[in-house]
Amino acid sequence: MLGYLIRRTIQALIVILGVTLIVFLLGQLIPGGQARAALGPKATYAQLHHYDVQYGLNQPIWVQYWHYLLGLFKGNLGYSVKRNQTVAASIGVALPRTILLVGISTIFALIVAVPIGVSQAVRRNSAYDYAMTGISFFLYAIPAFLIATLLIIWFSFDLGWFPSSVPTDAGLWSIFTDPRSFVLPVFSLAALTIASYSRYMRSSVLDTLTEDYIRTARAKGAGSRRVLYGHALRNALLPLLTLIGLTLPAIVGGAVIIEDVFNYPGMGLLTVQAANNDDIPLVLGTTLVLTVATVVGSLLADLLYAAADPRIRLGAE
Amino acid sequence: MKGSIRRLVASGLAVGALTTGLITTLPAATATAGAATPSVATWAEAPQTPPNYIFPFMGLQYFSVSNINNFQFLMYRPLYWFGNGSTPNLDPALSLANQPSYSNGSKTVTVSLKNYKWSNGESVTATDVMFWMNMLHAEKANWADYSQGALPDNIKSITVNSPTKVTFNLTAPVNSYWFTYNELSQITPMPLAWDVTATGAAAGSGGCAKAAYGTVDTQCTAVYTFLSKQAGFDPSNPKGANNALPTYATNPLWQVVDGPWKLSVFDASGNVTMVPNKTYSGPTKPTISKFVEVPFTTDSAEFNALVSGSVDVGYLPTSDVTSSTSNPTTAGSNNPRLESSYSMSPLYTWSINYFPYNFNSTGDGGAAGPIFKQLYFRQAFQTLVDQPLYNQKIFKGYGIPTYGPVPVYPQNSFVSSYEKKNPYTYNVSNAKKLLSSHGWTVVPGGTSYCKNPGTGKGQCGAGIQKNAKLSFNLEYATGSSATTQLMNAEKSSWGQAGINVNLSGASFNTVLGNAVPCTSGQSCSWELENWGAGWVFAPDYYPTGEAIFQTGAGSNSGSYSSKQNDTNIAATTSKNTSLANYENYLTQQLPVVYQPNAVTSLTEIKKGLTGVTPQSPLWSINPENWRF
Repeated sequence: MLGYLIRRTIQALIVILGVTLIVFLLGQLIPGGQARAALGPKATYAQLHHYDVQYGLNQPIWVQYWHYLLGLFKGNLGYSVKRNQTVAASIGVALPRTILLVGISTIFALIVAVPIGVSQAVRRNSAYDYAMTGISFFLYAIPAFLIATLLIIWFSFDLGWFPSSVPTDAGLWSIFTDPRSFVLPVFSLAALTIASYSRYMRSSVLDTLTEDYIRTARAKGAGSRRVLYGHALRNALLPLLTLIGLTLPAIVGGAVIIEDVFNYPGMGLLTVQAANNDDIPLVLGTTLVLTVATVVGSLLADLLYAAADPRIRLGAE
Repeated sequence: MKGSIRRLVASGLAVGALTTGLITTLPAATATAGAATPSVATWAEAPQTPPNYIFPFMGLQYFSVSNINNFQFLMYRPLYWFGNGSTPNLDPALSLANQPSYSNGSKTVTVSLKNYKWSNGESVTATDVMFWMNMLHAEKANWADYSQGALPDNIKSITVNSPTKVTFNLTAPVNSYWFTYNELSQITPMPLAWDVTATGAAAGSGGCAKAAYGTVDTQCTAVYTFLSKQAGFDPSNPKGANNALPTYATNPLWQVVDGPWKLSVFDASGNVTMVPNKTYSGPTKPTISKFVEVPFTTDSAEFNALVSGSVDVGYLPTSDVTSSTSNPTTAGSNNPRLESSYSMSPLYTWSINYFPYNFNSTGDGGAAGPIFKQLYFRQAFQTLVDQPLYNQKIFKGYGIPTYGPVPVYPQNSFVSSYEKKNPYTYNVSNAKKLLSSHGWTVVPGGTSYCKNPGTGKGQCGAGIQKNAKLSFNLEYATGSSATTQLMNAEKSSWGQAGINVNLSGASFNTVLGNAVPCTSGQSCSWELENWGAGWVFAPDYYPTGEAIFQTGAGSNSGSYSSKQNDTNIAATTSKNTSLANYENYLTQQLPVVYQPNAVTSLTEIKKGLTGVTPQSPLWSINPENWRF
C-alpha cells in the first residue's frame, strides 16, 4: 500500500510538472506579449519595455520558468497584475466558495439520487421506474444555463421566494448571511447531478441483484430488506464511489455556467476570466490547483474502492 | 419491501426538503439590512472589472475606468475635473482650482487653488500639487500617462508662490487647451499625510512634498514605493506577495480624502461601500448615507439583479435591448421587465471608433501595404461603410458615426463642420469609380485586380504589381454579436466593389497584441485588425492625435505617416490654434477605417432616484448628486 502511494505521488508530481510547463509555454505565445495584454492599447514602447523589465519578462523563458518553480517550492503561486493580488489570495477566495457550492450540491444530489436509483432498480420496468427515468433523462438533457435561468424566472422574478444571485462578499460564511440565495444555484447544480447519479445507482443495483451471492442469500431465506441493504447496496455503491472520487476536480474546478448565471465568483469563473484576460500567473495557478485535484481525486477513487471492496489490493503485482 | 423502498425514497427526499427548508427559513441578513436603510444607493460595476487600485499615482496596468473614474475620483479629486454635464469640457465648479491662466507667450501657467479641505482638516494647497509633481519627476516611468516630451519633460520649473498659487514654467509655448486638458488633467493633489515612508510616520517626513521641484527624487521614490506597497504593488518586487486590497478600507492613509466620499468597505471581489465625507468642501454634498458598488460576473447576472430590483443604477446589456430608438441620444422603450421600475439613459463616451490599416504590411506577398497607402483605395473602402445604416440595424439606433479623428458626439466645440458632414457618404458606384479610374478591374462579388500598374494618372499606384488583388485579412475581436454582425455587413458591402475581405475572429487581447506598429521593411503580415474599441480620449481630453496618428507614436498601430499631419498635430499642442486643420486633414485622408461607435452604456436608473443624469461622457460618476 505504501509503495503504491509513493509511486502514485511520484507520477502525480511528474504530471503536475508537465502541466505547468505546457501552460507556461502556451503563455509565451500571447500575441504582443504579456506586457501588451496587461497595459492595453495605450501603452508606448517605453512602457512595454519598462513592464517587461519590471516583471522579469525580458529574461529567457527557461529562466522565467525556473523562477516560477522556485516560487512554487516556496509556496508562492505568483502575482496577478490584473487583480492586484497574489494568485494564492485569488484562489483562496474563490476555492472555498466553489467547494461550498459544488460540495453542498453534490451531497444533496447523493442524498436524493441514491434512494431514487435504488427504488428504481427494485421496481424496475414499473410505471414509477419509467417516470423517474424520463425525469432523469429530461434533467440530464437540459442545459445548465437553461435550468438556472428557468429557476430564476419562476422562483426569483415571478414568485420572489429566492434571490437571483448569491452575496458576492469574499467570505466562506456568506452562506450563513443569506442562505436563501444558495437554494437556486444548489438546486440547479444538483438537478444535473441527481439525474446522472440516479442512473448509475439504478444500473449498479440492477447488476448487483443478479449476482450469485444475492441469489444464495435469498435461497438461504434472507428477507428483501436484508438482501438489499445487507448485501446489494454496499456492492452497488462501488461504481458511485469511483464517480465521487472523480468529481473532486469538478468540485475544485467550479461550475462556470452556474457561477456565471448566479453571480457567484468561484473557481470556474476565475479560471475562465484569467484565460480571457491573458492573466498567465492566474491561469497557471488555477490549472495547478485543478491538476492536483484531478490527481488526488483519481487516487481517492482508487483508495475508496479498495476500502469498500476487500478483494481489491492496491499495488499488488 | 415496497414499504422500505418507499421509506428510503421518502427519507432521501425529506433530507433534501429539510435542508432546503432550513436554509429558506434562516434570516436573509443582507436583504434585511438593505431594507432598513432606504437611502443606500447601489450601483452595478461592469462585469469582471472590480476596482483594485487605490493610489492615484499608478502604472498603466492599473489605469482603468473602474479604478479611476468609478473609485479613486470619488475620494481623491483631480486638480481639474473634466466632464461638464453631458460634455467632455472642464467643469470649473468641481475643479480644485480656478481655470489656469497662461502668460509669457503660453510658457507660464499659473494655477490658483480654491478653498478645498482634506478630511483631516488641512487645506488642499499648492504644496499638495508640488507633491504630485515631485513624485512625477522622480517616477515618470511608473506613471501611466507619461509619454516622452510631455509632462514632466516639458516643465522647466515649478514655483509655489503661496499656499493657493503655483506656477509652472514650461520649456516651450503650448496650446492652452492642450496643456489644460491633456497635461494639467493628469494631476491629482496628494495630502501631506501621504508624504511618509513608513506606517505611523509624521506627515511630511518623506520629504517629497515641500521641497523645490525636481530636487528630491530619492525621497520621492521612497515615498512612492511605500504608498504603492500600501496599495498592493511593490515596485521593487512586483511579483512578490503583497495582499493590500483587504486593508484599503482600514488603512488610515486612504482615509484622508478631499472628495465627497470615504471608503468604508472594500474587498478583492469588488464589493465597495463608501460613506459621505462630512467635511467635503465641494459644491454638492452627498445626501445618501451609503454608496455601494456591486460586482457582477456577467451581463446576465447584472440583468437579473435589475429585474429583481437589487441595484439602483445599472445598465441594460446589449443582448437585452428589445426596442430600437430613432434618436441615438434618447432612450427608446425599455426592456419590458424593467420598464415599470427603471428609466433608461444612453451614455456615449468621449471616443472614436476605428480600426487601422497596416501601411507597412507585408501580407499578400507585400501587396497589402502599398494598396493601403493609396488614398483613392482608402476613400473607396470608407465609402462602402454605411455607418448610419449599421447604427440603425445592428445597434438598434444606439450608435454614433465616426467620420474623423474627433468625436461628433457628445456635444463639443472641437468637432468641425467638415467632419460632421462626412465627406465619404455610402455610395457603391463612387467606390467602384474610384477603383476603376485608378487602373483596377472591378469584379463585384469577386476579387478586383490591378490591370494598369504604375504611378501615373489612372494607374494603380506605387508598389502595386499587375494583377495584384484587392483581397485582405481582417481579424476582429469576438465576444460581441453586434461586432460580428457589423464585420459581416461590411464584408458584404466591400464585396460589392470586388474588395474581398477574409474575416477571422480572435480575443480582444489577441487582436490588440497583433495590431502592433511595424517598421518598414520588417516582416509584418497583419493587414487589418479591429479590436472594436477605437480610442477613448481620457485622461487626454483634448482630442489631439499625437498618441495615435503621429509618425512613430506607440499607439499608431497601422504606422500611418504624413508630414502634413505631423505638422498639424504639432500645431495643436504648441500653438493656440483650433483643431480644424488637423481634424479636417485626417477626416479627408482616412488614416484608419472609421467605424460606427456603439452606445457605451444604456444606463438603467431606478425610478425615484434623481441626479444620475446627465451622465459624464468620461464615465465618472457623482453619487453626491443622487437624491431619492
